[in-house]
Amino acid sequence: MRAETMDQLLRPRKLIVTTALALGVLLIVMLACSLVGSEDISLKAALSSPGAIPGANPDHEIFMRVRLPRIVLACLVGAALACSGVIFQALLRNPLADPYILGISSGAGLGAIFAVVAGLNWTLWGRSPVAVLAFAGALGTVWLVWFIGGLTGKFHVTGLLLAGVVVNAFFSAVIMFLTSTAKSDQVYSTIFWLMGNMAEEDFLVLWVGTGCVVGGIIALFFISPQLNALSFGAEDARSMGVNVVKTRTIAFAVAAGITAIAVSLSGLIGFVGLVVPHAVRLVFGPDHRLMIPLSAIVGAIFLVVADTLARTIIAPAQLPVGVVTAIVGGPVFLILLVKHSRKMGWLR
Amino acid sequence: MNKWVWLLLGVSCWMAAGFALCGPGQGQASPSAAPPAPPKRIVSMAPDLTEILFALGLDKEIVGVSQYSDYPPAAKEKPSVGSFWQPNIESIVAAKPDLVVASTTVGFTQQKRLAMRLARMGYNNLTLRLETIEQLFEAIEQIGQATGRRQQADEVVRDIKSKLQKLSSQVGAGKKVKVLWVVQREPLRVAGRDTFVNEMIGLAGGENATGRTVQIYPPIGAEQVIASGAEVIIEPDMGQQDLKAQQESAFRYWSRFENLPAAINKRIYVIPGGAVSRLGPRLYEGIETIAKCLRPHLFES
Amino acid sequence: MSDIIEVRNLSFGYTSASVVLKDVSFAVPSGTFLAIVGPNGAGKSTLLNLMSGALRPQSGTITIDAAPIDSYSAQKLAAKVAVVRQESVPMFGFSVAETVLMARTPYFGAAGFESQADRDIVKAALEATDTAAFASRPLTSLSSGERQRVFIARALAQNSPILLLDEPTSFLDLKHQVGIYDLLKAAQLEKGKTIVAITHDINLACQYCDQALLLGTDGLYRHGPADKVLSAEQIKHVFDVQIFTGRVGQERFFMPLGKRAKDSRQINTKTDEI
Repeated sequence: MRAETMDQLLRPRKLIVTTALALGVLLIVMLACSLVGSEDISLKAALSSPGAIPGANPDHEIFMRVRLPRIVLACLVGAALACSGVIFQALLRNPLADPYILGISSGAGLGAIFAVVAGLNWTLWGRSPVAVLAFAGALGTVWLVWFIGGLTGKFHVTGLLLAGVVVNAFFSAVIMFLTSTAKSDQVYSTIFWLMGNMAEEDFLVLWVGTGCVVGGIIALFFISPQLNALSFGAEDARSMGVNVVKTRTIAFAVAAGITAIAVSLSGLIGFVGLVVPHAVRLVFGPDHRLMIPLSAIVGAIFLVVADTLARTIIAPAQLPVGVVTAIVGGPVFLILLVKHSRKMGWLR
Repeated sequence: MNKWVWLLLGVSCWMAAGFALCGPGQGQASPSAAPPAPPKRIVSMAPDLTEILFALGLDKEIVGVSQYSDYPPAAKEKPSVGSFWQPNIESIVAAKPDLVVASTTVGFTQQKRLAMRLARMGYNNLTLRLETIEQLFEAIEQIGQATGRRQQADEVVRDIKSKLQKLSSQVGAGKKVKVLWVVQREPLRVAGRDTFVNEMIGLAGGENATGRTVQIYPPIGAEQVIASGAEVIIEPDMGQQDLKAQQESAFRYWSRFENLPAAINKRIYVIPGGAVSRLGPRLYEGIETIAKCLRPHLFES
Repeated sequence: MSDIIEVRNLSFGYTSASVVLKDVSFAVPSGTFLAIVGPNGAGKSTLLNLMSGALRPQSGTITIDAAPIDSYSAQKLAAKVAVVRQESVPMFGFSVAETVLMARTPYFGAAGFESQADRDIVKAALEATDTAAFASRPLTSLSSGERQRVFIARALAQNSPILLLDEPTSFLDLKHQVGIYDLLKAAQLEKGKTIVAITHDINLACQYCDQALLLGTDGLYRHGPADKVLSAEQIKHVFDVQIFTGRVGQERFFMPLGKRAKDSRQINTKTDEI
């Protein structure tokens, strides 16, 4: 009897084993998806040497320089969006929260459109102006919403949500204005970017992005026990000894940061940040120490699969990834919800 | 030591390693030297470029074309490499090209990124702007240069220019006919003054009835239609539809503008879109068609 | 016995116009059970929030264990003061054991996991509150009474010398009301904890508490031993209600009576000399 009562508490071993297994699944998915695409390639040819001139071994080129970078990017973005969704749902204590709820999407969109309309041409470390301004727009908007929300009292959740809604609405209107007065080519370019897309990136970008996103996820893992306590409300958390201000600040800043990175890399991809946290919570429980790493991995798997579908279903054309995430994610989530609601005791 | 300090250290080392491994900037960029011999495998990323390549006699060398390349008919048989909005880099690589020709007229950002990426991977690529007639001639010459068909390119350009010369003397320096160029009916969109269509109209002896606008293909309202005082309305057909049916529906549509000279005189023309919707070697055919609409009496021979 | 909580000249208002507490001073000796009683709007919850550090006083000082309350970090304060508020249900389905374990958050290791000592503390707290049977059930599947006991277990797991409770029995049935007071009394007598509980139940307060703080809406308050503070006159005056006073054994009980109550004729009656 005694052993039973403590059994379902999370132990380090369970965390490590589950995470390792999930990582294993991720690697298998990554490998499988890298062999699938609009062109058939053979694994043997892909792994042999590239040859002297470009074009000598197209299988290798496609595998190494087109598919793998794209898959790595999908992992990054999926992990970032999913983790950030977990955080926003925890901070705002709202199961409908997603990474874009506080205006990040419209801020990034505004930055991107501004770059397109102004016809900017420079590159920053090989990143196009659209990406850089989208990143700046995303972070700037978060700061703005934080500031406006703060006017209603220190971290008042409703105040923040309302500020987010207002900022979103205003920026969306500005976006529509710019879009309607822009040249038609720029309009399409913008809309295309807003639908979310995966494009292969160069080595340094992926490397830096991985460092930031993984670092961010680890930071969020460090504050997971505090996030658990926060789910009972700030007052209770404080009474239990949690430094609420420090926890919220770190969580908010990191989540906003990795979302901004994700958005600047691949536009606005919806559904991942909303659905993956719920799915992980339904299956693995609400303990953030498990949810953070698992959401990251499941988010990565989800987006890799979605992107693979996006680039193969109507090959040689491609669907925007956001379309696939919505179509695939919706029904999967519904099934999970019904199956596990019984487990949680919501459906008797 | 504090776990946060460890984390920061770890991330910093990671970043430093990344920069050390490859240095800031473009990553591994192989020098893209010009091929000593004329390219044998060419990929075209836009329909207008496909037309130019075929016009230079390169049909055997073309191994991949953009999705909407439909002229000449032989182009439809070539393998597709995606559209200008969604270039499929896998198909491009699989085609093992030694020259990729792209234009930044449509899908500016995507095409530029594509060019950057291809250069990084060591593929020769040529990116051109094709927005004005002058740029078209330059493009034809550049492509000729890059593919070793300089002679044919010069010939093509010379041919078009001399035909245009003849046409302008035929049309004369008379009063310019006001033309409204309609690209879409619902909502109503016309070609503005900053388009190549505008140039074509000018060379055919007309002038654009639409004034200066911000957008190059602006939507306009009924007021502006009436204010334009257009004497001729030209609608290029955008699909494979029956020209006759489109012509009839056009007459019906424009008849509501009772005060418009074009409607009164029933000078509404639906013309085949191929030669007038893109800048290419069929430039003269397109301009001639327009001229025929503007001054039908001149061509009644 | 030293005073573990000292409140001096405490004043507080939510806005500059309204004043909820004016110049309140009292001290709570270590190891006592203090009941805070008063009508709605008198500022009981506000006072509790001030004592737990959730609110900052406009003027005056609060001293916890001989140090001013604002000199404590959140973690150190949690080691001294545990709070049980009125029922709060979390958004997400944590189990009972996980909930109680959260009280040990400040003591988790670097990787964010608890030690065996923490687990033992949680086990003891669950057993003390008789909630060990549903340790693995989600919090949302329990009844109000069971949930309230879990929150008390969580407060006990903090191992703090002071326990503040805001109406711990307001939604409970008789059995559980008594059960919780027994639990709190046991914590006081066996573990030497200082208990401060806001309660609407004056009679239970008389039976279990050593001291009482009676707060009135007019800003007046009375503090002292329970039997002195909770007298018929005081209650009538502060609560503005007619009562019947009786005696149980060594303590009294008070029965509020309205005009239409069956025994309305007993208003203002006392049984034997009290």
